[in-house]
Amino acid sequence: MMRDNRIRRLPMALSSLVALTLAILPLPSGLEALRPDFLVLVVFYWSIESPRAGGLTLAFMAGLALDVIHGVVLGQHALALTLMAGWATHLRLRLRVFSILSQCLTIFALLTGYQFVLFWVDGATGNPVTTFGRWLAPVIGALLWPVLVGILSRLHER
Amino acid sequence: MVAFRTTDASGRMTGLLLRCVLYSLFALALIIVDKRYDHLGKIRRVLSIVAYPVQVAVASPFEGWDWFRESVTTRDALRADKTKLEAELRLAQFRLQRYEALEAESERLRALRDNTAGVTDRFIIGNVMDVDLDAFRERVLVDRGAQDGVFVGQAVLDAGGVFGQVARVGQLTAEVILVSDATHAIPVQVNRNGLRTIAVGTGDMGRLKLPYLPTSADVIAGDLLVTSGLGGGFPAGYPVGSVAEVKRDPAQSLADVDVKPAAALDRSRELLFVWLKPQAAARAASAPPGTPTTPQITPSAGPHNP
Repeated sequence: MMRDNRIRRLPMALSSLVALTLAILPLPSGLEALRPDFLVLVVFYWSIESPRAGGLTLAFMAGLALDVIHGVVLGQHALALTLMAGWATHLRLRLRVFSILSQCLTIFALLTGYQFVLFWVDGATGNPVTTFGRWLAPVIGALLWPVLVGILSRLHER
Repeated sequence: MVAFRTTDASGRMTGLLLRCVLYSLFALALIIVDKRYDHLGKIRRVLSIVAYPVQVAVASPFEGWDWFRESVTTRDALRADKTKLEAELRLAQFRLQRYEALEAESERLRALRDNTAGVTDRFIIGNVMDVDLDAFRERVLVDRGAQDGVFVGQAVLDAGGVFGQVARVGQLTAEVILVSDATHAIPVQVNRNGLRTIAVGTGDMGRLKLPYLPTSADVIAGDLLVTSGLGGGFPAGYPVGSVAEVKRDPAQSLADVDVKPAAALDRSRELLFVWLKPQAAARAASAPPGTPTTPQITPSAGPHNP
């Protein structure tokens, strides 16, 4: 089991780093609102694929990184990502036998939950973002899920 | 802790729940401490240093591309550019001719009125980094931070006018909130008649609005809005925008005024961070009338503190 963990930590860290850079890659301002939460998807993937390699710790650290990079109140993304990664880990056995469509729907639910926690913390800390645009990211993220699974599973099964 | 690492199914679940709750509580505590108290500033500053390599890694290919494009420009394009810049410089110099005299005069008058609020002291220039911060908030990341003396609330200008203010400072970088952000407001004055009001961002980079003007207010399309210097955050007299449209609905008590920002909010790459003159120092400086008080420009200043 320990060997298993060590093998998986490297692709885990690498994919998270790539996702983090994608999260701040400059996009034309019209497309910015459509950017899916790459890092969140990657964290979900590892929570489902190998939760013992530290899925929740990864979720918390990735959340903190997003907080710092997005310049929002410290702990916001960490809270949302921890909760949803925990939920994803809880669902992982079911998710693995789901068809790809049901997987996408579940991921959509998780991403919406994630956005909702962000939305709630935004409101509670006094700078709400009420534009409709923020609810688009979960849709695009869910559509992207099969692609991401394809890439990441190839990456660590080699 | 060892108990939670067992492969036993029920053991795993309690472990997961416990860890999830612990991490969540920790995150909640972070949110509350960061919101309520100011203790996390240092931690955030350190974390921003960790984030810096990632930000640089993302920004550098774009900078590299810009550099490459610049270095392969043709001679003709350079010449056209040079002619254009020379024309612009002539115009700027022409406008500047009376600037020093006016500046001194304004300083004397302000001293008479005992009002030295919002006189600029010095600038440094920072570059916008090619990094996206948040899709729903109008912010940019600039490569100047606490080590250059940048502070929260500092006024930021670009070549056209007021750009925004510093929202958060890291060791090497700073986040600037644009005047067009939906949570940003700036005290302004109509240049034509001195009417004071507040310009509020809309979340749209091409538009500000003046929500607090009565329908009877003397404001027309084309009016220039400048900073009033009230509130002390911004230097007085810098252009904020021009009135694009005034809608007066007789049934409403307030007019609906749209403003086009003067700064190129979506295009500017070089920004000026401004230090205001401390009130006492400004008074002392303006005591001998006619003292030259041009703001000094330090192009790539090291760590100066105001």
